[in-house]
Amino acid sequence: MSLTRVLKVLRKDLALGPRSPIFMYAIALPVVLTLVLQVAFGSLFAPKPRMAVVDEGDSAITAQLAATDGIELTMLDSVDELKTGVEANDYDAGLVLTEGFDEAVRDGSRPLLDLFIGGESLASSRIILSVTALDLVREVEGSAPPVDVEIVSFGDAGLPVSVRLVPLIMMYALFIAGAFMPASSLVEEKEQGTLSALLVTPVRAGEVLLVKGILGCVLAFVMAFMTLLMNDALGGAPFDMAVVLFSGAAFSAVIGMVIGTWSRDSTAMFTLMKSSGILLFAPVIFYLFPEWPQWIAKLFPTFWVIDPIWQVGILGKGLDAVWLEIVIAIAISLALVPVIGMLSKRMQRVLVG
Amino acid sequence: MSRPVSRAAIVSAIVKKDFVEFSRDKLYIFLSLLGMIFFVLIFWFVPDTVDETITLGMTHGGDLGALVAQFEAGAEGSAEGLALEVFDSPEQMQGVIDGSLELWRADEGDARVIRDKEAGDDKPKDSHRVGVQIGIAFPEGFLIDTATGTRTTVKVYADAAVPPEIQTAMKSFVREIAYGITDNVLPVTEPAQENIILGEDRAGDQVSIREKMRPMISIMILMVEVFSLASLISGEVLNRTVVAVLATPAKIGDFLAAKTIYGTVLALAQAFIVLLAIGAFTAENWFALLVILVIASVMFTGIAMAVGAAGKDFMGTLFYAMAFVLPLMIPAFALLLPGTASAWVRVLPTYGLIQMLNGVTAYGRGIDEYLPQLGISVAWLVAIYVAGLFTLKRKVESL
Repeated sequence: MSLTRVLKVLRKDLALGPRSPIFMYAIALPVVLTLVLQVAFGSLFAPKPRMAVVDEGDSAITAQLAATDGIELTMLDSVDELKTGVEANDYDAGLVLTEGFDEAVRDGSRPLLDLFIGGESLASSRIILSVTALDLVREVEGSAPPVDVEIVSFGDAGLPVSVRLVPLIMMYALFIAGAFMPASSLVEEKEQGTLSALLVTPVRAGEVLLVKGILGCVLAFVMAFMTLLMNDALGGAPFDMAVVLFSGAAFSAVIGMVIGTWSRDSTAMFTLMKSSGILLFAPVIFYLFPEWPQWIAKLFPTFWVIDPIWQVGILGKGLDAVWLEIVIAIAISLALVPVIGMLSKRMQRVLVG
Repeated sequence: MSRPVSRAAIVSAIVKKDFVEFSRDKLYIFLSLLGMIFFVLIFWFVPDTVDETITLGMTHGGDLGALVAQFEAGAEGSAEGLALEVFDSPEQMQGVIDGSLELWRADEGDARVIRDKEAGDDKPKDSHRVGVQIGIAFPEGFLIDTATGTRTTVKVYADAAVPPEIQTAMKSFVREIAYGITDNVLPVTEPAQENIILGEDRAGDQVSIREKMRPMISIMILMVEVFSLASLISGEVLNRTVVAVLATPAKIGDFLAAKTIYGTVLALAQAFIVLLAIGAFTAENWFALLVILVIASVMFTGIAMAVGAAGKDFMGTLFYAMAFVLPLMIPAFALLLPGTASAWVRVLPTYGLIQMLNGVTAYGRGIDEYLPQLGISVAWLVAIYVAGLFTLKRKVESL
């Protein structure tokens, strides 16, 4: 193994790699997934009741609604806009507070409560919004409630879906950049014949694989870091996070080398990626469904990569809590090195005889 | 000596060749089958009901029996969004809420069992478990005390996972009951019930996520077909087999017509099979659905033509196909979220198609209710198809 040759191949790959569509794909996918899963599905799994208000007289109810936790408040300018929005299910309910509403409530005139409910709103949302609105009206009236209510909360609130989706996005970031990109680069070079040309020079197959692996590992590390940053899941221990991310990036690069050396062409690579996808991505489903038996996730190799990231980034634990997982991930990676060696020899034999 | 051959025969021969080639391409056969099976399985896996009911636990000292009976009688006939479970003691209710006890209800009848799993109680047969996450414990003598002006304290037990808006609403609910007992009328006039609900009242009959997924699944299937056709075209362009085809009596027009027929038939057939498997077709909507599927299939064939002409290899084709198709999937995702889609989503070519698919399959509406969307979709179809045709024609001519 010559360092000079490795650096030369690295320079070539650094110059040509970013021109590949897969490189763009590896960079764009975590961003797109974060947007789609967090913005769309985060609110889909845990929808909040949505209330629109037209306040024509600076009512105290508006301020109280804005301060109420868990209700999405939208202020509108006209009653027509409110009715259209409620009918289109843009809001679950709409409240019109006419000028002098608060004064009328206080002086006992009993003004009309202009509350509109959307036909497509959930029954539970209707109850929440109606009862809350009535309670706020009572507060404006100023009468003391005839009863005290004490809320006794217990148990563990659990993590919101938006947080439990982070491992899924992380896996995409790690494996598209760390595995798919170097594998496709290797296969592309095989198909275009540039790898055969390279291997008739003093450059050895192992040096080419090392370069592809380094590039995959670096890109996977960067993309995993960016993904955690975008999802606000970097945790509070930068060194610990760097260690677990590095072990994950190296693991995915090793997987990429196995796929790249095994695949004769793009078709074979794509088929292998598709069929092995379930094995790679299965553990992330267990984070989405914490009530499932979690030991099953440990049967999948990628669990030992994603779990340390989860524990350090989301649960705020340190390396002392995840050292065993890291050791297992490194052991799996090392066990795959001889496999890569064998596949690399076969590849060299096929390409240059 | 050459025998004259009709254009139809030439086009038919090219289409036949394309289908033979497709049947030999193991990757796309695999992807197409996998996609179809996967989407059908996903569809049936997603829940087909919308849980819009809050199950509320309650304990009282016996003095609120009339109120509970009144509530249950009122809730039976309509979808009130609130289901009531009365417990013997606050401790029992708290146990069910924190999960140390389980509440099971018989599938038929009103029988119910409180199961203590740790004590070794068996799982009741022909029953289902009822989840209770929040409960109200009215103190002994609440009715008399409140009516006579003595302040009492009502405890609301809630699992920490219960959203804050539900906790707040339950607090307000208790206060309103107390106001009712003290004959303290609302300080506002309530509007007439018929004026409150805007739009069709779907309480208890909500459109489920499963039903809303049908348009998304259709688009996904068409997306796989874009990959398939684009890959075939780019292969023909790169391997210059199209030049060989054009050396025969076949003209560019025949080649383009054949690709249009092949792409449309392939996309339409798969979308049809999948929609059939997910129960989208009914006696009333089959014609409307077919019209929408034909428009979508030709539109995606146009995209595949442009992608196939631009792709230089497998990865390039894959990337261009994703770049074109992913934005077109956004209206289908937007459908899963409540409310009107953003203005930029509404101008996407597939928006009208998705609206029609959703209206026809989930709401049982006719296509005549979607004439503006139909017109816009046809306009987009013409624009995209002509652009695809033109791009591929130029590419072929350049060879």
